[in-house]
Amino acid sequence: MPSQASSPTYATAKGFCITSAFWMMVATFMGLLGATELIAPDLLENVGWLVFGRVRPIHINLVLFGFVTPGLLGAAFYYLPRLLRTDLYSEKLGVITVLIWNLSLVSTVVSLSAGYSQGREYAEMIWPVDMLVVVMFLLVLYNLIMTVRQRREPVLYVSVWYACAAIVLTSATYCLGNVIWRPNTGALVGIPDAILLWFYGHNIFGLLLTPLALGVTYYVIPKACKAPIYSHTLSLIGFWSLLVVYTHIGTHHLLQAPVPTWLKVISIVDSVGMVIPVMVVLINIWYTAKGRLGEIHADVGAKFVFTGTIMYFFVSIQGSMMALPQVQRVTHFNNWVVGHAHVGVLGFSGMIALGGLYYVLPKLAGKPLFSKFLADFQYWMVLIGVSGFTIVLTIAGLIQGNAWLNGETVYRVLPEVHLYYVLRASLGLMIFTSALLGFYNIIRTLYFNTGEFSS
Amino acid sequence: MKMTPLAILVGSLVLLMTIVFVVVIMPWFTTRDEAPSDIFRARTAAEEAGRATYIANGCVYCHSQSIRTIDWGIGAERIAQAGDYIADRPILLGSQRTGPDLSQEGGEHPDDWHMAHFVNPRYARPLSIMPAFAFLGKDDINTLTAYVQSLGLKDADNRLKRQTFWKEESILAYEAGPVENVDWLHHQVPEGWRNIPNPYPTSEAGLARGHKIYQDFCLGCHGPIGDGMGPAQPYIYPPPLNFTTLKGRGVSGGILYYQIMNGITGTAMPYFKKDLESEKIWEVGNYVAVYFINETDADAEPKGIDAAYEP
Repeated sequence: MPSQASSPTYATAKGFCITSAFWMMVATFMGLLGATELIAPDLLENVGWLVFGRVRPIHINLVLFGFVTPGLLGAAFYYLPRLLRTDLYSEKLGVITVLIWNLSLVSTVVSLSAGYSQGREYAEMIWPVDMLVVVMFLLVLYNLIMTVRQRREPVLYVSVWYACAAIVLTSATYCLGNVIWRPNTGALVGIPDAILLWFYGHNIFGLLLTPLALGVTYYVIPKACKAPIYSHTLSLIGFWSLLVVYTHIGTHHLLQAPVPTWLKVISIVDSVGMVIPVMVVLINIWYTAKGRLGEIHADVGAKFVFTGTIMYFFVSIQGSMMALPQVQRVTHFNNWVVGHAHVGVLGFSGMIALGGLYYVLPKLAGKPLFSKFLADFQYWMVLIGVSGFTIVLTIAGLIQGNAWLNGETVYRVLPEVHLYYVLRASLGLMIFTSALLGFYNIIRTLYFNTGEFSS
Repeated sequence: MKMTPLAILVGSLVLLMTIVFVVVIMPWFTTRDEAPSDIFRARTAAEEAGRATYIANGCVYCHSQSIRTIDWGIGAERIAQAGDYIADRPILLGSQRTGPDLSQEGGEHPDDWHMAHFVNPRYARPLSIMPAFAFLGKDDINTLTAYVQSLGLKDADNRLKRQTFWKEESILAYEAGPVENVDWLHHQVPEGWRNIPNPYPTSEAGLARGHKIYQDFCLGCHGPIGDGMGPAQPYIYPPPLNFTTLKGRGVSGGILYYQIMNGITGTAMPYFKKDLESEKIWEVGNYVAVYFINETDADAEPKGIDAAYEP
């Protein structure tokens, strides 16, 4: 029952959708390039700005801040005004935010490829780029809070909680994790630096991607099913327990490093405890969709989102298991973890970002998707790609981890994992191709949409 | 519970602050004044410059600097301690071992090996998937090498001192001529080992396996025909050995085995005992003896009881 005074332009939502679709192409290309360099290390011999060690952080930061986050925000800037029964506080500010966002992504690519890096995983960007990132998060936050303030709907829906929390908490942890009070290095010294870094790095997933993705899920699934949320109590428990539990567990990245034992114990216990926030949310969502899977299957956006929830189940259960020291003896330092990261970021939050995009795009454009077939095709390519990544990288990781435990050197194991690197790159090619199709489909839907192209 | 904007914003921020206090600030209090470990020393300006190059090129994504109790590879002699890292801003523990851990890499090789390896890693290690870093230029490679040679700090200094001492000795031997050089090389092997022939008979299958090991480990320096003219040769001094100079100069299976197992510290010849099991060392040694030296003592007496697998 929207009651906007004027018909909204959704300029901000559209801007974030296009940002996400565009940077998904660049980000997945960088991943493909890095994967290819691992099987053909002299392919770009002595092209310094594309050396593997610079391509990898570009890939990761573009996936996080270029593809997934803007995709989830694209949906959020559509659902927030509707859930709050008002207009976005300022579309103009929103569009400026999108521009700054893209500027920060361009600066990320340029600075990292030129070798300006702070060398801390997920916190590589140098201080001036950090400042752009902080500004863009604060602008989103301001627009969001002002929209909430002018709302005409007294009750705040779950998606609104998640969106607000994600933006406010990430604004804080980004500053903290990037040590922005030390512009030259962006780092602490020694072991405290490792503890802070993994607190922050883990919360990029826990306090940014996960809540934004759950916000989209809580919006899309009930809408597509035309059913109310199964339980308000579960929504509440899921929300607060996520904030409490997820934030404690970053140190499970450091179980084999000399950090205080009590901190390791906290991280292990709470990693296992993650089963609570995860299952509470999933039970809530899955019971909402119970008996209504046909409706979800009929909507390609909802299909992406629902698949994302299944991936969330797998990645979280796997993550809890990986925090156990006995498991980590095998999985740490090898491709198992890379597989895990891809299920989490591409399978869970990436799938949901794409689902959010495809769900809101027809509403933003006022017309159906340019091609439902292309969107469906992309769904299968991403699903096969990310499942393939998981299988291939898990096998490679098990080979590496067990060989190392058995006393084989890293060098000796390289030929044993070569095949899996080749398979990984081929799957990467699928993901990259799907990003190209997705970009084409999204642009055609928004701007050159002549109506239903195929059904 | 009524979820008002204030409840969400203030509630989540208060939670975050509490948790930051527990999992970041409390550990900071207990770990920030870590005492230096027994191997700790400050880095020189050149080593710091090399560390900046290491960070700029993302070496940390493939190389950890964190030796665990369960490790067997390079540096496994010393488990990481918090006091090793007290000058590291940022700390470079790493999260992947696409390449080996480098915590104790300093002094594992002499500088000339690093130059060949940085110009193109496959010159020194044929199966490596590390990128070539010739684009950095000679100066940056030199500071990067200084940093890598400092990894392990005081332990690295000891190893490097050993490398430097034996580098001078090996150059003297090389420059004295092939006869003296071969004699010097043989005398780096304990006498007992020198007198041991290769106890296993030459077989076609064994030579084929030796050939594969040679290609995967030796070819970069000694070259495909064993003349010491592999792609790493221009960077290495004393240059890689031309195996034909060993002919008729008293080489034995035992000498070859020992040199492959233990390396020749000071020269670019690394030890392979972590990479290769016993059978592989005997077989690559015999491959070199048969094909490049054209003189093998395989299966010669004294060899003891024949091994069970022999036909």
